[in-house]
Amino acid sequence: MERIVQGTSPADLVKQLQNSDGYHITNTARDLSQSDFKNRILLHTELMAADSRERAGYFSLEITGGASVHVDILRKQVDPFLKLEILREKMPTTMFQTLCRGVNLFGYRPYPQNVIRFTVKEFAKYVDVWRTFDFMNYIPNMQAVFEEVGKAGKINEPCICFSTGPEHTDAYYVSKVKEILEVTGEDIVLCIKNHGGLGTPKRIGELVDSIRQKYPVLPIHYHGHNTDGNDVGRIVAAVQNGATIVDAADASFTGFYGPPPILTVIQTLKDLGHHAATIDEAAVIETSEVIRDERQHYDQFESQIKGFQPTVQIHKLPGGAMGSSLEQAVKGGFLDKMPDILHKELPKVQKELGNYWSVTPGSQILWTTAVSNVEGGERYGNPSGDLRNLLLGKYGPFPFYEPDEWIFEKVLGSDWKKVLEEEGGVEDIGDMDITKEKEILTDRIGVEPTDQQLVLYLQHPNDAVEFFKFEDKFGKVHVLPPSIFLREGGFDPEETISFVDHTGKEHMVEVGPSNVSEDGVTSVYLYVDHHQRIYNFEPDLPEGATARPVTMSKEEILDLAKAGDVRASFAGNVCEISVEEGQEVAAGDKVAVMEAMKMQTPINSEIAGIVTGISAKVGDALQPGDKLLKVDVDE
Amino acid sequence: MKTKILVANRGEIAIRLIRAIQELSYDAVAVYETPDKDSRHIRIADEAVWLGAGPRCDYLDIAKVIKAAKRSGAAAIHPGYGFLAENPDFAKACEDEGIIFIGPSSEVITNLGNKVIARRIMAEAGIPMVPGSDNLAAGDEGVETAIAFAAKYEYPIMLKATCGGGGRGIRLIENDDQMREEIPVARAEAKSAFNDERVYLEKVVIEPKHVEVQIMADRDGNTVHLGTRDCSIQRRNQKLIEIAPSMIGDKELLNTICETAVTAAKASNYFNAGTVEFLIDKNFNYYFMEINTRVQVEHTVTEMITGIDIVRTQIKLAMGKNLSFAQEDVQMRGHAIEMRINAEDPQADFMPEGGKTVSVYRSPGGYGVRLDGFVYQGFTIPEVYDSLLVKMTVHGFSWNETVDRLRRCLQNFVITGPKTTIPFYLQIAKDADFMSGDFDTSYLDKHPDLFNYDDQANEASKLANLIAEIHHRGHNPYAA
Repeated sequence: MERIVQGTSPADLVKQLQNSDGYHITNTARDLSQSDFKNRILLHTELMAADSRERAGYFSLEITGGASVHVDILRKQVDPFLKLEILREKMPTTMFQTLCRGVNLFGYRPYPQNVIRFTVKEFAKYVDVWRTFDFMNYIPNMQAVFEEVGKAGKINEPCICFSTGPEHTDAYYVSKVKEILEVTGEDIVLCIKNHGGLGTPKRIGELVDSIRQKYPVLPIHYHGHNTDGNDVGRIVAAVQNGATIVDAADASFTGFYGPPPILTVIQTLKDLGHHAATIDEAAVIETSEVIRDERQHYDQFESQIKGFQPTVQIHKLPGGAMGSSLEQAVKGGFLDKMPDILHKELPKVQKELGNYWSVTPGSQILWTTAVSNVEGGERYGNPSGDLRNLLLGKYGPFPFYEPDEWIFEKVLGSDWKKVLEEEGGVEDIGDMDITKEKEILTDRIGVEPTDQQLVLYLQHPNDAVEFFKFEDKFGKVHVLPPSIFLREGGFDPEETISFVDHTGKEHMVEVGPSNVSEDGVTSVYLYVDHHQRIYNFEPDLPEGATARPVTMSKEEILDLAKAGDVRASFAGNVCEISVEEGQEVAAGDKVAVMEAMKMQTPINSEIAGIVTGISAKVGDALQPGDKLLKVDVDE
Repeated sequence: MKTKILVANRGEIAIRLIRAIQELSYDAVAVYETPDKDSRHIRIADEAVWLGAGPRCDYLDIAKVIKAAKRSGAAAIHPGYGFLAENPDFAKACEDEGIIFIGPSSEVITNLGNKVIARRIMAEAGIPMVPGSDNLAAGDEGVETAIAFAAKYEYPIMLKATCGGGGRGIRLIENDDQMREEIPVARAEAKSAFNDERVYLEKVVIEPKHVEVQIMADRDGNTVHLGTRDCSIQRRNQKLIEIAPSMIGDKELLNTICETAVTAAKASNYFNAGTVEFLIDKNFNYYFMEINTRVQVEHTVTEMITGIDIVRTQIKLAMGKNLSFAQEDVQMRGHAIEMRINAEDPQADFMPEGGKTVSVYRSPGGYGVRLDGFVYQGFTIPEVYDSLLVKMTVHGFSWNETVDRLRRCLQNFVITGPKTTIPFYLQIAKDADFMSGDFDTSYLDKHPDLFNYDDQANEASKLANLIAEIHHRGHNPYAA
């Protein structure tokens, strides 16, 4: 059959898929990067792969979305829009695909409707296939995205998130497909999002078959992870039962938590009589060869723990969360408790919280709750703001059953019924004053932002501003290969680094000597295009600017809070100061919101009084015991 | 024993003088204040005498400098520019002590240093001058005279300190009220700055060109000129860029100006090297401004186009020789441009960058470029002196060639550590008006865009900055 090309209308695309003489493959480069390399695969590497990937004839290349938009600006220092623009130049034919969290978009919590629409509109200029999911399978949470994608003439690929357990029946999922089709109409591709790679091949085969029975011409796209080492089995079962598109990734970069190798899928299915439509096998192989050598430079981002994890069937953590949870365990010093957390507490918490789907941001809620339950001593004793929101139904209704009352009581307090009644239900987030946000951003970066900059800012305000400042200082660094950008241990003396800047000019940097002055300033000498330049670095702050020892105990912090001296009770960033100086607050009123590990937690005043002094501002990174603000008892 | 000449100065001019002294087979004696202990002029000199802890007081201390000359046995003193160069008391002290002062006599310095006497001498010699007043009487009488002067010649009017110079002690007056207000202020300021409260008025020539003529005179009264220099590109009345010869197309006019300069020098019984400064208005009327009785910073451009070593000539004249060339022997060839590379931030109103260390110093070379500087890699710029690091003078056969060379040299000049005027000059070297030779004293005011250069490094050095940081930290902190 003819290759599917970028720019095809949804109706034509669906027709093409229905008439296809084989199955299709999406190269999930983004998912590979996120699951096995903590999202760090650089644009430089993707560009190396671009030429052969373009020739390989994939249904699509998933190259943005999920956590990647955030990590692009936070850790890769690349503009997610520029990335797509540059890739599009190299890959004019292949459809680009994103993974969108519906109302939670490319962040971790619900965004206002107008922000969602604005964001989709800007990204739809580059992204053809919109794989959209909601971790509660709550269809209304995806509606705004569906509509904007439709308006842009792009392809909607709504997901049903898949999990296992007695409630997760074929009948349930078929009913969800029905709900989706009622909203989107028929010109869609349906995705089965099996984020953790759950279930056996047999189970996936049955699910695909059930959907096909009811909707025989609906193209089904199976997405899974290879965490248990058996996703090829599930893919085979899916295709044998009528799935049209499957996900896999370039072999030379495949790991333990992400997609399985494309070539293995092709070879296995070929022998079973299934033809990979439009695929150029030689080009598939070529990509792996071209980028193979780059993998060594990403070593530091691969999982500390090697080997497949068939126990994913027990803990259900999705690919992307596996690596980061292990990272957290190492940093937090509770790696030894991981078996308990993963194999005992997580399944228990999952069951207690309604057996919903362990995928972003729901997986983070499960994970943090499980860690806090094990680490904190008292189960549900220290609930996060997001867990509270989950119980309040802010993310959508529980799909099967509600958690037990005692959990509500633990999380929402003894008057939880009243709280639930007053605050419960899907939050109707009012539109944001985008014009005002634009003014704030203009103020913060000193120039009027572009629409794309504004979109990034609305997703991740502080990180976007930091990124704009980074770009201002360091330029467009995506031109640097991972061997430079991710170098550990410094460069060799007299090492020569050459790169082509974003305007196409070639440059050469030679590493010269470094010396340290009496006052501790390090001067690094570089020859930039044969001109010597010196870069001075102030001495490092003594250990502690980033990891100051915690000098105050939780009890001390609480005692101070009871006296009106509100301090950070954990290490994190201030994401909201909810009060103004002079404002009157009641005991229990929210005065600030702090964020750590992607989770927001409200800080409430312990006493009633008047806010007298605000010491922290939005974006500040605080350590436990750092001052937030003061409340004086109003007498 | 070789005859010694003491150099009563510092920085680049001290080195310039020492070079000429040594070429003439004399020994050069340097002097220095403590903040200059690492200055290169000390090392280049044959011997050096410490004057005191400074700053800026010992170089100005006549007794100490004379004592240094006596102790080292110097037969002559070259004062350079600034410091004691135009202080008649210093010239007088030398005369009294039997030390040869390389410059005009104390009497000439006194006369020409007093603006009013100078104007009188020039008026008698028929030199055209900007209309000006005598010294204003103290109190209301002076103010009334000033108001009457303004009524006759119209505002704007310059209020000048009689003993001022070098752009100091000058204020622009726009109306009567301001005149009444500013005269007492100017007096007080002149009193504290020059220890002489006298002030006078001058009509303002709007947007003039600043053109000056280098003259040389021997004791027999043989006086020649070495052509013109244009010093119009200034900021706050301080010269930044000097060009020889003037770009005025009317050669007859330039010749007349040069001859006028010779007349002015003769009228004042001038001896040794001096500079006669003129203003030229839009209608090419020229007005005498003053005679500087010293070697100028910008003497290099004249040397480049005439091939005559002005400092060498100065010394020979002072040591008793007569001029070895006549006016007709002076031939001008091509164009020269000198740029004062200062440790200043042009984008911050030329804020000095003193106290910083020159971490990289890579100067241009090759055909037609001359450098008169004193800094070196590793040198920390003293905060207590002026910010001139090096004068870069380029010479070319045609104006275009000279500007091309200028641009090339600026591009190849790397000084890191302090901010310098180099990137700003590069803007000028690329400016269409400058390239066509069209500039007067309003040039910088009329080209504010020249200040909008990207001092931030280019893309390559931005990326190199990240590379440096990755190297320094041992990992990329922005990717962690």
